[in-house]
Amino acid sequence: MPGAKDQHLESKIMVKAPVGGARHHTLLLPSSTVALAVALMTPMPAQAAGTLAGTTISNTASASFDNGSGNQTINSNTVDMRVDEVLDVVVADQATDVPTTPGATNQVLTYRVTNTGNGPEAFALGTIANVGGDDYDPVVAQIYIDANNNGTYDAGTDTLYVAGSESALQPDATMTVFVLATTPGSVADGNRGIVTLVAAAKTGTGAPGTAFAGLGEGGGDAIVGSTGADGQDNGNFLVSAATVSLVKSATIVDPFGGSEPVPGAIITYTITATVAGSGSVSGLAINDNIPADTAYVAGSITLGGSPLTDAADADAGDFNGTRIHIGLGTVAGGQTRTVTFRTRIN
Amino acid sequence: MRKLLILLLATLAPAPALAANQVALDNSVFVERVTTDASGKQRVLLEEPKVVVPGDRLVFVLNYRNAGGEPADKFVITNPMPSAVRFAGAGDASPIVSVDGGKAWGALDTLSVIQPDGTRRPAQPADVTHIRWAFQKPIPAGGSGKVMFRGVVK
Repeated sequence: MPGAKDQHLESKIMVKAPVGGARHHTLLLPSSTVALAVALMTPMPAQAAGTLAGTTISNTASASFDNGSGNQTINSNTVDMRVDEVLDVVVADQATDVPTTPGATNQVLTYRVTNTGNGPEAFALGTIANVGGDDYDPVVAQIYIDANNNGTYDAGTDTLYVAGSESALQPDATMTVFVLATTPGSVADGNRGIVTLVAAAKTGTGAPGTAFAGLGEGGGDAIVGSTGADGQDNGNFLVSAATVSLVKSATIVDPFGGSEPVPGAIITYTITATVAGSGSVSGLAINDNIPADTAYVAGSITLGGSPLTDAADADAGDFNGTRIHIGLGTVAGGQTRTVTFRTRIN
Repeated sequence: MRKLLILLLATLAPAPALAANQVALDNSVFVERVTTDASGKQRVLLEEPKVVVPGDRLVFVLNYRNAGGEPADKFVITNPMPSAVRFAGAGDASPIVSVDGGKAWGALDTLSVIQPDGTRRPAQPADVTHIRWAFQKPIPAGGSGKVMFRGVVK
């Protein structure tokens, strides 16, 4: 039963550097001693992608003993194994729903493409806009690569993706990909549109285990990993639209206490603007011309029950001699605005 | 075409190059390849790999033989873990291990690792840097045997 301690032998432990001259050998420090020095200073990085393709794994054992002529140490033979390249990729959409509006252009979906293989690999990108499971098909315009790695699409800065000119993504590295799409003008509030981003290893894709002889990093084989060497994920647009309806009503009070439209009667107009939908409308304004044969009653504009002045000033309303105007600005869906003004029948 | 061997056959056929001192240590590495035959039965084949991929399960076998005329006393076999291989056990004949590059030795569950914040945590198989078998009895003249351990390609 082994287990004895031979402390005096410790200095004889052989740490033999592996042989082999793979291109990426230096990236994975092969000597146990050197690797350990690094490990003590910083925790070992998580190797999601695993040992780099092209690395040579070498194993050598040693034995020490005393057969009567003092302590001796011998080495075993060395077994070398080359690490082949595994092709794997994962695509992940970065947001649950990206809000958009009918007719909007350059709407951005954001994805992250990660090389989960163990060698540098270029990935061809493509989109599918008619995947189904949604209400409309976004119109994909372009694909961009996040050139400055800030995770946000920057027009003029990020790199337009051109099929056939992909550059390699290092193992464990992630690139952010933006898909720019146009939302058709015909979509309605609450509609959902899906764009699938597909990334496929340029070396090849297929069932896990498929081997591409000689195409791996360092001249070895490239082997399709568990992802099939392609990946995809859906990005979702959610249309956020709002509609405005105006309802105008009038009440008349005549000088005799009745409600007849006779000269001198006062007409009170009430305009109710109702915004519906999950979006909001901006720049909403109500303009109404004073009807012929009536005269505007000065200072009679109210918004939400509060009086507004007739001058074009800081408050939202004004009267310019022919029409009243109330600027409502941005109004969210589900809200109403009520405006009243009065005229006198000539 | 790679040669497929089962472990038993492989270990019966060591071919150590005898050193001048007549004690030899032969190192073989096998990868476990799981195949499924037509009836759905899984078979584990041990194959001597030229190439491996991350996640491959490796079996390291060390055959020792004392071909000299004298017993080999204080016999100790040490195998530094290749840095790209994670230790995955050594079967019943538990060797002692080191998790600090060969400074301290012991059973894995008696060792600990200093974390970046200065505290210690129990050592895990992935921490193992060296494996050692220290034989309490001399290897007699003509004696031989083998030890093994498992690892996974990181």
